[in-house]
Formats: sequence, structure tokens, C-alpha cells
Amino acid sequence: MKIFKTLFLFLLFAAGVNETGAQVIGKELGGEDFLYAETKQVNQFFRRFNCEEDLDGNRLYYGDSLYRDPNFREKYINMLFDQQTKAYDDSLKRHFLNDVLDQKEPIYLDFYDDKWFAEVKAKFRFNGKVENAVIFLSLEREGYGIKWVITNIFFQPFNELFFADSTPSGKFLHPMSHELDFMNLIKVFNDTKAVEYYFENTYQPDFRSIFIYELKKGGLKFETITDVRFHFFQVDNWYFEVSEFNRGGYNRGWLISSLMEAPEGQKEILLKYIYYEQ
Amino acid sequence: MKLKHIFYSLVFLLFALPSWAQPGLSPQRKQAIDSLALEKVRDLSKYISIIGNKETPFSEANRVIERALELFTEEAQMGVSSLNREEIKYYNVREYFERLMALNYDRVSIEWYNIEYISDLVRQPDGKYVGVITIYQRFRGESDDGLNYVDTTKKDITVYVEKKQAQINGRLIDFWDVLLGDIRVKETIPG
Repeated sequence: MKIFKTLFLFLLFAAGVNETGAQVIGKELGGEDFLYAETKQVNQFFRRFNCEEDLDGNRLYYGDSLYRDPNFREKYINMLFDQQTKAYDDSLKRHFLNDVLDQKEPIYLDFYDDKWFAEVKAKFRFNGKVENAVIFLSLEREGYGIKWVITNIFFQPFNELFFADSTPSGKFLHPMSHELDFMNLIKVFNDTKAVEYYFENTYQPDFRSIFIYELKKGGLKFETITDVRFHFFQVDNWYFEVSEFNRGGYNRGWLISSLMEAPEGQKEILLKYIYYEQ
Repeated sequence: MKLKHIFYSLVFLLFALPSWAQPGLSPQRKQAIDSLALEKVRDLSKYISIIGNKETPFSEANRVIERALELFTEEAQMGVSSLNREEIKYYNVREYFERLMALNYDRVSIEWYNIEYISDLVRQPDGKYVGVITIYQRFRGESDDGLNYVDTTKKDITVYVEKKQAQINGRLIDFWDVLLGDIRVKETIPG
């Protein structure tokens, strides 16, 4: 069986992930071939991207002949592109490959590097209604190892509460308020729609704290997870997103769902966009 | 079960390198632990097939459920989703097995694809290692009234690996204990 599997993946490589050709091969293998081709785990995405596993999925280590082999790696990375997307084209893929496979300084993904994170979409019941939340997670070192931690949360019902007043002018405490024992705070706290405008200019609401508060108070109840994807900023001047594709054919599993050039100076803007801060 | 456990551990010791050899897991040690973990996953696959089989007597199925539960950590859960239901349903492992045993089909066949994918082992804050093994299952349920149900599911199985010590003939021997944790069960579209 292993020989067939290896042969199949070689043919898939040679065909440049040609779906039609591969399907004919598949029938001869008894219908399991699509699973060999599938990028089954995010872990496998890393290994294939770096060429750190063989065609049987066995880990390759430094010193193994195919470990990070550039030719093999190019074929692996080609398998990791979403072949059905219109979000990026062949010339962008080529450009990305040239940068990643640079002969002098090839770029590898590192699980332990902090320049990648997860985005999880989940449903929560809030005030009797099911609402979507977006939870961002990153890896953090602790004790003997590493763990995923929640770094950010976006929740539209909270978002709607802040800075919704389009006419914030006049919303301030005048500079002599102290002489009146801040008696005008009554206006601030009675005008709950605009209370945030009375905070310092740099104030940004922290949805994480509100989220925890509501969970602890019982106002928010977890329902389910609906989507998981990963954002990668590890390749200089590039950003890409990895999502899971559960579909027929061979181009399936964890694949690059979005790819764009992102000069280092602009990555901060992109991050804000991903975090719903813009 | 205990004998089997000791057997695994001793088999592992044959492959084991000294624990001080390097701070992480050497490739050889990783390979040996992978074998232990795969053995447990294969046991689980076998148990699932027996529990789901309609010809398995009730008492035998219950006995196998108890055996299967020994493979897991206490808090392990199954998170199950299907193609036509976005929501993930969470079951504790015992509940999952009992539901499998009680499925309302006259004939059930559970087959496993000949593919297993083993992730790297990553160390978590408490020092235990954690990995994921992915396997695929084909389920077919048939009723006498002609009702048929077929699905293919991907099972991503958490594997916890912990270094422990046992006293044998007065000597402390290191061994690696492998337990299964949460399992994500996802219906997948066949190729």
C-alpha cells in the first residue's frame, strides 16, 4: 500500500496537481488517494511548506536526503495553493515561490515563531439571540512548553455600543470642572450613549474584559465553533491565510486561501483590518 | 490492560535513548512514542468497530466500552459535526460510545481507511507532550426497511504523552505513558 501511495503522490507532483489525471490514477488505488494528497493537519501544512516530511507523511530530519530539498519543496508548496481560488493568480504564486525558495536565503515557517495566529469564528447566545464572535489566539510560552492564548475578541453587539454617536462634539468635561467637585460627571454618566467620548483620546474598548464579564455573569453562553483559519506574517513582505477546504478532489485540506504582497511597513494596517479595528 | 501497558512500555524501552540525551525528543524517541500512540489509536478503531457492530452482544459491547474508556483521559470529549450541520455537538467519550452502540440500524459496518497521519509532539506548559493523529472512517448503516446512511469522517485524535516512573524489582524505570484526549470528528467529502 505504501508503494502505491508514494507512487501516487509522485504522479500528483509530476502532474502539477492535475485533477483529471489524478482521478484516473485514483480509481486504481481503491479511492483512498485523495486522503494522501489532502493536507490533513496544520502541522502537515508546516511540514509540506518546509519540505520536512516525505511522501508517506513521515517526518524528515536534518541530515535526511530530502530534508528541505528545494525542488521537492517547490512541488509541495504548489500543492498548498488553493487551485480553485480567484483570490490570487499564477503570477502572484510564482512571485511568492521565488521569494520563499530563494537560493541564498530560503524562508521556512516556524511553528514557534510568533508571527502567525489563529482566527476562530464562534456562536454565542447573548441576550436571547445567537451572535457571532471572532476570537483570535496566539501561541505563548509558559513553564515547560507552549500554549494557545486568547489575544483578542471581536463581538459586534459590543462593537455597536462604542463610538456610535456621529456627533461627539461638545462631549467633554470642561477644564474647570475640578473647581465644582466634578459635579458635571452626572451628565457624563446619564448620557450612556456617548460616555466613551469622555475618556482619554487613546481609549479603545477591550472586548476581552467585557466578554469575560458577560460569561461570568451568565449573559453570554458558548454555542459552537463555525470556522477556523490562520494568518501568517512570517514571510517578509508577504501575508497569507490558511483555511480548511473540505471538498472533493485532491486539492483539499489546509490550503492557502488568501495571498498578498504586504510590505513590512504595511503589515500593521493589515493586522488592524484582520482584528476589525479599521 | 495493565499487562499490555507494561508490554508497550518495555517495547518502548528497547528503543529509548537516555532521557538526558537532549531536551526535546530525539527522532528515535519520537518514532517509538508514535508507535505507542498508533497502537492505542488502532485499539480505539478496533473497539469502535466492535461497539458499532449490531452482532456484538450487549454485554460484550459494554465490556469493550470499558476497555475503550481506559485509553482516554478523564475529561476527553468528542466534537462531532456533519456536512449538513454547522454546529459541533459535544459528547463525553462514554456517551459517544453508548450512542454508537444504540444506533437504530439493523446492520452497521465501520471501516477504516488505510491512512494515519501523525503530527509532531509539542510540549505543553506542564511538561507533557501533545500531538494529534488523524484517521479516516467509513460508516454504513442499513435498516431492513431500506433506510441507508453512509458517511466518511475524519477523526483528529489528541494524544498526550507523559514520562512516568515505575518500580520494577526495586528499581525505578522510566517509561512513556500515552493517553488519548479530545477527538474532533468531522464528516468529510470523499474524493
